[in-house]
Amino acid sequence: MSKKQVLNGNHAAAIGALLAKPDVVAAYPITPQTPLVEYFSQYVADGVMDSTIVEPESEHSAMSVLTGASLAGARTFTATSSQGLSLMFEPYFRASTMRLPIVMNIVNREMISPQTVWGGPQDSLTVRDAGWLQIYVEDNQEILDMNIQAFKIAEHKDVLLPINICYDGFYLSHMTEGVEVPTQEEVADFIPPYNPTHVRLDPETPMAVDPLTPGNYLQYYRELHMTAMDNAKRVIKEVNDEFAAKFGRDYFGLVEPYKMDDAEYVLVTLGSLTGSARIAVDKARENGVKVGLVKIRCLRPFPKNEVIELLAGRKAIGVIDRNVSFGWHTGIVYQEIKSATSTLEAVPTVPFIGGLGGEDLTTELMSEAIEKVLEVADSGQVENKAHWLINTKGR
Amino acid sequence: MRLPEKMSSYEDMVGPGITACSGCNVELSMRTALQILGPNTIVAVPPGCMGGVQSVGWADKTGMKIPVFFPLLDNTASMLTGIKKYYERVGRDVNVVAFAGDGASADAGFQALSGAAERGDNIIYICYDNEGYMNTGFQRSSSTSLGSWTSTTPVGEAAEGKSSHKKDMPMIMAMHDIAYMATASPAYMPDLIRKIEKAKTIKDGLVYIHIYNSCTTGWGYPSEKSIDIVRKGVKSRFMPIYEVDHGKFKLNVDIKDPIPLKDYLGSMKKYKHLSDHQVDQLQEYVDEKWNNLKTLCEVMG
Repeated sequence: MSKKQVLNGNHAAAIGALLAKPDVVAAYPITPQTPLVEYFSQYVADGVMDSTIVEPESEHSAMSVLTGASLAGARTFTATSSQGLSLMFEPYFRASTMRLPIVMNIVNREMISPQTVWGGPQDSLTVRDAGWLQIYVEDNQEILDMNIQAFKIAEHKDVLLPINICYDGFYLSHMTEGVEVPTQEEVADFIPPYNPTHVRLDPETPMAVDPLTPGNYLQYYRELHMTAMDNAKRVIKEVNDEFAAKFGRDYFGLVEPYKMDDAEYVLVTLGSLTGSARIAVDKARENGVKVGLVKIRCLRPFPKNEVIELLAGRKAIGVIDRNVSFGWHTGIVYQEIKSATSTLEAVPTVPFIGGLGGEDLTTELMSEAIEKVLEVADSGQVENKAHWLINTKGR
Repeated sequence: MRLPEKMSSYEDMVGPGITACSGCNVELSMRTALQILGPNTIVAVPPGCMGGVQSVGWADKTGMKIPVFFPLLDNTASMLTGIKKYYERVGRDVNVVAFAGDGASADAGFQALSGAAERGDNIIYICYDNEGYMNTGFQRSSSTSLGSWTSTTPVGEAAEGKSSHKKDMPMIMAMHDIAYMATASPAYMPDLIRKIEKAKTIKDGLVYIHIYNSCTTGWGYPSEKSIDIVRKGVKSRFMPIYEVDHGKFKLNVDIKDPIPLKDYLGSMKKYKHLSDHQVDQLQEYVDEKWNNLKTLCEVMG
């Protein structure tokens, strides 16, 4: 039987991953991911889990160790944040293009400069086109559950791609919540063993992995990779449904709709800020405003069809971004939503930016966003740049 | 069994169609090393001459009879650690080997190599040192020696080649307290072969083998002189042949009566512009390194 524990996000991630029994773990500590590495090391030291832990000298080497281990046939796990992610970008891109189903948590932290350690998904969103699957979660239960699902999705024969489970630094990594923890037996039953044949370094079956490759082959591999991304949409949904049936928690797959059935106005969110947006939606509904919410869970692959289906025919939309897309003066998720809905009859869509560097995106700010969406629905006029959601307190 | 007979009894693990430049002693070193290491081996060949000659394969064809991987320039040691750790975990004894140039070892890949050495990961890391980025036309590396012409340390009115000495990689690796460190030369094949055989038996830590190679096109000498050149390197004490077995230093080729360093330097184009002052600097460097090594062999032998 599962049991309920009080866990912070890092602890939930560590337990989720250890239940999946990775063979090799290599991670380099960085705030706010550090406690996750510590939990793992302690579990191995205590004999609770028997993963092989490598203590690399950098994130670049952490990803490189897992590249080698995965090529040898291992199930692999790691985690990082911001600067660590950018340091490992070279082997990061290569892990996906070699089709290695590595599971990596990204404990979202702003990118410097200016110097910062606080939350924000600028790190993982900036590398969204590096070929990894990316799932963004809202709370600690979802962190644990998605770490279990991650292995099953990534290692699926129609996918074979690495996956990021992304959760906000501090807001989730260091905050505690009640989390249902399944048993080892339940999880073992859920995730089949990993035994790769598509790429493998084994003297019994000699293979040249990643030889020098001319463009015609490279294009073919890229097409296969993108097809695997398409397949992942189906697999993520299947795994979600199977998980829901077995463990009783349903995350709706690629996107989660909230009060969308009759919604005229919509907020689109990503990550932990969804919590305060839900409260603002509830408050607005108390005042008779028919507003709903769409939480983007899967950013890569992007759930284009689901987004179109959910956003078609609404009066106005607001996209809340805790990140920036330099050069567009909007957030990144806004660009994704605009691309996905480009075939729809134009719906006024407002780009919002707020909560950068760990700033609080309060329910008041979310209510301000809803007000702005209503205003735009009336006027039909959308400004050519983001509306900044700013906490004036202390400024 | 005599050495040639023994070597001919080992299979060549590198594909027959793979050839480097005429007279390349790196290809000879790689084929010899992998012959000894044998079929139970996984080898990583990062970007550099031996990757460039497509030992790593081309398109859907492999260049080796053993599993071969073309790692990043800067992560060879780390990715080998990952491979080795998994095989150790499942209880299979496999030789996990790097055949990497000096750029991939002493420059971009140094951090990963140092990390693997500090952790004591049981990989065999062979560095072929031809003193620069030769595959791309001889740009300088930290293993390029003082005064050497390279395309990025050119010689002109205001410059006289590389301005700093070569990084002493063998000694740096020895000072990591690894299980086994050795230098070798294709001009001293029995010694090189013995060291690769020894590497195969080491199970308690990292092995680093530094092979002093040369480059006919980059260094500028006739291709048939490849062995002569590196022999002169050894005989002038520029390329000391020694090993450090679990902390014990041993000079394997003692050069009691060295040839003049000028004989070595003068036999190739990359040094032809050297001033007397530069030759003196190089001589001082060689003397100091040699004396230090002799002392270490006496004190820590």
